[in-house]
Amino acid sequence: MSDEHPLPPVARRVRALAQLLAGTDLLRLRIEREGEEIELGRRALHPDLVPEIPHDLGAIETKPVRADQIRADLVGIFHLSRPAPAEGDLLENDRELAFIEALGIRNPVRSRGPGRIVTVKRGEGEPVEYGAVLFEIDRG
Amino acid sequence: MRTVAIFSEADRESLHVRQADEAFCVGPGPVPRSYLNIPNIISTALITGCDAIHPGYGFLAENARFAQICADHGLTFIGPKPGVIAAMGDKATAKRVMREAGVATTPGTDILESVDDALHAGEEIGYPVLLKATAGGGGKGMRAVENPHEMERAFTSATAEAEASFKDGRVYMEKLIIDPRHIEVQVLGDEFGNVVTFGERDCSVQKPSHQKLIEESPAPHLSDAARSSLLDMAVRACKHVHYSNAGTLEFLVSGHDVYFMEMNTRIQVEHPVTEMVYSVDLVKEQIRIAAGEPLGYAQHDLQLRGHAIECRINAEDAYNNFAPQAGALTKVVFPGGPGVRVDTHVFSGAAVPPYYDSMIAKVIAFGASREAAIARMERALRETVVEGVSTTIDYCLEILATPQFREGRYDIGFLPRMLAHALT
Repeated sequence: MSDEHPLPPVARRVRALAQLLAGTDLLRLRIEREGEEIELGRRALHPDLVPEIPHDLGAIETKPVRADQIRADLVGIFHLSRPAPAEGDLLENDRELAFIEALGIRNPVRSRGPGRIVTVKRGEGEPVEYGAVLFEIDRG
Repeated sequence: MRTVAIFSEADRESLHVRQADEAFCVGPGPVPRSYLNIPNIISTALITGCDAIHPGYGFLAENARFAQICADHGLTFIGPKPGVIAAMGDKATAKRVMREAGVATTPGTDILESVDDALHAGEEIGYPVLLKATAGGGGKGMRAVENPHEMERAFTSATAEAEASFKDGRVYMEKLIIDPRHIEVQVLGDEFGNVVTFGERDCSVQKPSHQKLIEESPAPHLSDAARSSLLDMAVRACKHVHYSNAGTLEFLVSGHDVYFMEMNTRIQVEHPVTEMVYSVDLVKEQIRIAAGEPLGYAQHDLQLRGHAIECRINAEDAYNNFAPQAGALTKVVFPGGPGVRVDTHVFSGAAVPPYYDSMIAKVIAFGASREAAIARMERALRETVVEGVSTTIDYCLEILATPQFREGRYDIGFLPRMLAHALT
């Protein structure tokens, strides 16, 4: 493989893991870290077959499996802000998505940066406990 | 009656969470962010439609401000009124109130503002002395001081521990009475001025940290005159402050001398021994009283029957200065049978988190006589299995087997002496 076009970081990681897998009798190897998951498996179950190490790793993409979770940091009633955020919405910047009403006080829930809303986990007026997942956001 | 349990993230799998009708997480493991998180606790009560809050026997149980906040939000605090908690739950103030009621108290001070105050007080009272947290209980924030050289360190650590445990770092000082018996009286009062006592408990088997390990009722070898004096003082004190709901008045008994030490304006850990000998459900009585019901019975209606002992099963290495243990309980089997009761929040596979008091269970044994209760407790403890962390089970069995305990002739110096002897 030419060094004129260095591999992207994810491709380097995949290659290293493929070499690791090849040197063992494992059938499958899965690594999750920091919102990224890489899974490698042997193409056949025969233990003598060595998984083929891809030559062109530049096209390999990893898809974030665990989106960034926005959690409640207090106990109260969940209310969506207006306009109500919906799944699939693109967030250009940090913005208020909802608020938690507790003891008569409005506690904003913010997106903490740009991204895409993957899931709205709570409904309007729903009681939420500390730590409850409110939104899942794909940071792209 | 429906229940809502609050829990921290560390207690998510706890039995009380599973057994409540609803449960809400109020914060992460550390106490200040969860079990002392008043806004989250009140918010939980309001959004779930609670009528009342039972504070248990730790954390906010004797916090007058919390009781007032409950009242301000239309929630009934299951316990005394905020003003009474402030007067009697604050240990230093309680002693002043008791003196006004004509009850003998341990020589001591009001709140100490500084190490210099403490040093001055120590000289006046005479060493040895005891620093105690005014909002305290369970031995937290308590330090014995033998001489002035120990004062600064003791004062600093006592205030820090009190702040961490009760959100109130204020301490006061008492004369340290050498090796008295710790005998306490259980009281119940209603909103109509009625007060009854449920006898006394002997809680003299205490770790060097002054935390109780074994409690029993009735107190062995307590003369009728001393018992009568204790119960009379307890009733007099409660009526003086118009006390309602459950409480315990703690006394130090040294020979013929009886001193009021403090009042705990809450249900106590060791309340089961009283429940066993008086056939009463004290927590149920607390709820009834909080709901505005009268006691419905008089002192002469209450009859003591038999004898009860409680052993605290703590996740501690009793043979290593009771060092607290944390970890997974790989196997838990509790005893059963007639006259055996277990209060616990753990089960096989449960985790003992590092954030809280080390007690994981209470084993209570009842018998027709003290000897029968001891025998039943020994059998129960031998049947108890807790694997994964060290516990005080074996140590409790050792204590029960000593002549001093079997004869009922022990004081609060008994366990420290036993530990010191084991080291030599």
